[in-house]
Amino acid sequence: MRVELNKIRKIYGEKIALDVPAWSLDDGEVLGLVGSNGAGKTTFLRILLDLLQPDEGSVRIDGRELALDTAWRGRTGSFLDRSFLIEYLTIPEYLEFVGATFGLTKREMSDRLGEFESFLPLSRVDQNRLLRDLSTGNAKKVGILAALFVHPEFVVLDEPFANLDPPSQIRLKDILVSMAAEPGRSMIISSHDLGHVTDVCGRITLLESGRIQRDIKRSESTLADLKDYFAGEDVSSAT
Amino acid sequence: MLARNQFRVSLRQMQFKQGWFMRIVIAVMMVYSAFILLTLGFFFDRFSIQLWPNTTPVDVVNRSLLAGFVSLFFIRFLFQKTPRMKITPYLHLPLQRRDLILFFQSASLMSIHNFYPLLFFIPFWMRYVAAEGPLSGHLMWISAVCLLIVASHFANLLLRSTLRHRSGLFYIWLSLFITLAFIDETAGIGLQQRISEFLFGSILSGDFTSLALLASFMGFVVVASTVSLFRSVKGMGEASAPEQSLVRSFDVPEEWGVLGQLIRMELLLMWRNRRPRHYLFVSLLFSTMYLIFMLSTGGSISAAAFAALLGLFASGGFVLNYGQLMFGWDSTHYPAMVTRNVPFHEMVRAKLIVLQLSCLLLFLASLPLFIWFRPDLVPLHFAFLFYNAGVTTILILELATRNSQRIDIARSGGFFNYEGFSAKHWLWFIPTALPPVLFMQVLSGSPRVALVSLAGLGLVSILFSRGWTRYFARGLHHRKHSMLEGFSSRES
Repeated sequence: MRVELNKIRKIYGEKIALDVPAWSLDDGEVLGLVGSNGAGKTTFLRILLDLLQPDEGSVRIDGRELALDTAWRGRTGSFLDRSFLIEYLTIPEYLEFVGATFGLTKREMSDRLGEFESFLPLSRVDQNRLLRDLSTGNAKKVGILAALFVHPEFVVLDEPFANLDPPSQIRLKDILVSMAAEPGRSMIISSHDLGHVTDVCGRITLLESGRIQRDIKRSESTLADLKDYFAGEDVSSAT
Repeated sequence: MLARNQFRVSLRQMQFKQGWFMRIVIAVMMVYSAFILLTLGFFFDRFSIQLWPNTTPVDVVNRSLLAGFVSLFFIRFLFQKTPRMKITPYLHLPLQRRDLILFFQSASLMSIHNFYPLLFFIPFWMRYVAAEGPLSGHLMWISAVCLLIVASHFANLLLRSTLRHRSGLFYIWLSLFITLAFIDETAGIGLQQRISEFLFGSILSGDFTSLALLASFMGFVVVASTVSLFRSVKGMGEASAPEQSLVRSFDVPEEWGVLGQLIRMELLLMWRNRRPRHYLFVSLLFSTMYLIFMLSTGGSISAAAFAALLGLFASGGFVLNYGQLMFGWDSTHYPAMVTRNVPFHEMVRAKLIVLQLSCLLLFLASLPLFIWFRPDLVPLHFAFLFYNAGVTTILILELATRNSQRIDIARSGGFFNYEGFSAKHWLWFIPTALPPVLFMQVLSGSPRVALVSLAGLGLVSILFSRGWTRYFARGLHHRKHSMLEGFSSRES
C-alpha cells in the first residue's frame, strides 16, 4: 500500500498540530514515528486513519482519496488507544468481530491466533473476562493482537511498547520484525522507545511541533543520532 | 472546605453544564411549577370543592398525602442524584470517611426536591390546617410533612444504592409494590388512602404516637442509607469480580458475517451495561406491569389520542427510550468501528433489525394484556406494531444518526442518567409522537380508517428498509468526523 500526505495542516486555535507539505510511505516500507510529547504523532496517525479531518490537504492510499474510499479499511490493522477496543466484549468475542470484518472463518481465526500464542496466550487467559476488566497492559496486548492477527497489508500502531512488560515487549518486537519482513506490508509505528523503533523500522520520521524535522533511512548511527537529538532537545517546548 | 468546594462545583455546573436553551426551559418550568404549587397551597378549597364537594380540604390532603409522596418519590427517583460520586475525589485525602459521608449525606438535603413540596405545604398549612384542631396538632402536622420529605429523600438514596448493588432485589421490591398498589386500586380497598387519612388525621388531633411512628421510619431510612453509602464507599477502588451472568454469550451463524456480529454486539451492549439494561427493563415494565394499570382503568381510554399514545409505547417503548441514544452508546468505541471494515449500512441495518425486533417482542409481551383487559384495543395494538416497526424506528434513527453526545457506557450507571441527552432529544418527541396521536384524534370518528392507514404506512416503510438504511449510512458517512469529535469530548 502506498500512503501519501499532501499539504496536510491541522490547527487547534493558534497552535499548529500538524503541518506536513508532502510525505509518503511506499509499499513494504516500515516507518517509525518519533517525537516529544505533543509533537503531533497521534494527530498524524488519526489523520492517516481518517479519524480526524485535516483543515487543509489530502491523504491518499494507493492513489485514492482516503475520505472517499473505504476499501483501505479492509486491508488495515490499527491500534491507537483503548477506544479501539469494544470494552463490553470478552477477548474471544472481540477477536471474532475483528476477524469477521476481514472475512475470516472461525477456523482461519483460530489458526492465525495460534501464531501469536507467545505474545498473548489465549489458552491461559480468562475467556470470560470483559475487556473493560483487563489491566492496561493486557488490554493493549488484545488491541495489538487484533490489529495484527488478520495479516493486514497496512499496520498502524501508536506506542505499542508502552505499558507492556519486558518479555511482551521483546516478543512484540520479534513479531513486528518478522511481519515487516513479509513482502508488501507497510507499517507505521509511533513510539518513544528509540531502541525498539530503530530495531523494527527501516525508516524514521521525526516530528516536532507538528512539523517533520527529519526523515531518514535507518543506519548504524540512527539510534545514537536520535539519542543525541533528544538529549539536546528543549523539553519545555513540547508542552 | 468541603462546603466551599461543593458550592463551587454546583455553581460551575449551573454555568457550564447546560446550554442557553435548556437553561431558559428549566427556568421557565421552575417558575411555572412554583406558581402552580403556591396557588394550590393558598387556594386549595377552590379546586377541592369541584372534585370532592363534601370533604374539607384538610381531609382531602390527609388521605392523599401518602400517595402524593409516592408520586413525588417517583419524580425524585427519576431525577435526583446520589452523593456517592461526589465523595470519590476526596477519598485519597487524609479525611475521615465517616466525616465525609456525614457531610455529603447532610449536604444532599440541599435539593430542590426537598424545598419544592414546601411551596404547597406551607401556604396550605397556614391557610387550612391552622384553622383545625389544637396548636400542637398544627405544629405536629407540618413536622410530619417535613419528616416525610426527609424520609423520602433518604429512601431515594437507599433505593438507588440497592439498585446499584443488588438490582435483583430492587426489581423484586418494585414488582411487589406495583402488584400491591394494583390490587389496592382495582379491588376498591383503598387501603393506602385509609392509612394516610388515619395517620395524618391522628397527628393533626395531637396524637404523638403517630408522629413518633413517622419519625422512626425516617430514622430507619436515614441510618440505612448512610450505612449503604458507607459500604459503597468502602468498596470503591477495590477490583470487583465480573458478574458471571453478564458474560453469558451466544454464537451467531458464521454466514451472517459482519451483520451477525453487529447484531450480537448490540444485544450484548444492552445486556452488559447498566444503563441500556435499565432501558430494556423499563420498556418491559411499561409493556406489562404499567400497561395493566392503563388498560384496567376501563372506559377511561376512550380518547383516541390517549389510545394512540398507549399503542405507541406498548410496542415502541424500547425504540423511544433506547433507540434515540443509538450510536451514542457506541461513542467510547466508535473509532473501533470506523477504522475497521464495518460498512455504515451494515451498522445501520443491525440497529434497525434490533429495534424492529424489539417492537415485535414488546408487542407479544403486551398482547395477552390487551386481549384480557381491552380486546377492543387489540386492532390498535396490531396497527401500532407496524407503525412502530416501520415509522417510529425510522424517526428515532434519524435522531440517533445526528447524535454526537458522548456516553461513557461503562461508567454511565443508574436509572435515568441523562448523559448523552440534549434538548433535541426532548424536542424530537414532538415529531415522533404527535403525528399518530393527532391523526387518531382527527379520525376519531372512523377509527378503522385511522388504524389501517397507520398500519399501512408502517408496512410500506418496513418494505423500504433497504432505502432507509442507505439514507442513514450516507448521513453517517457525512457526519463521521463531527460524530467522532463529539464522542471523544468528555464535556458533552
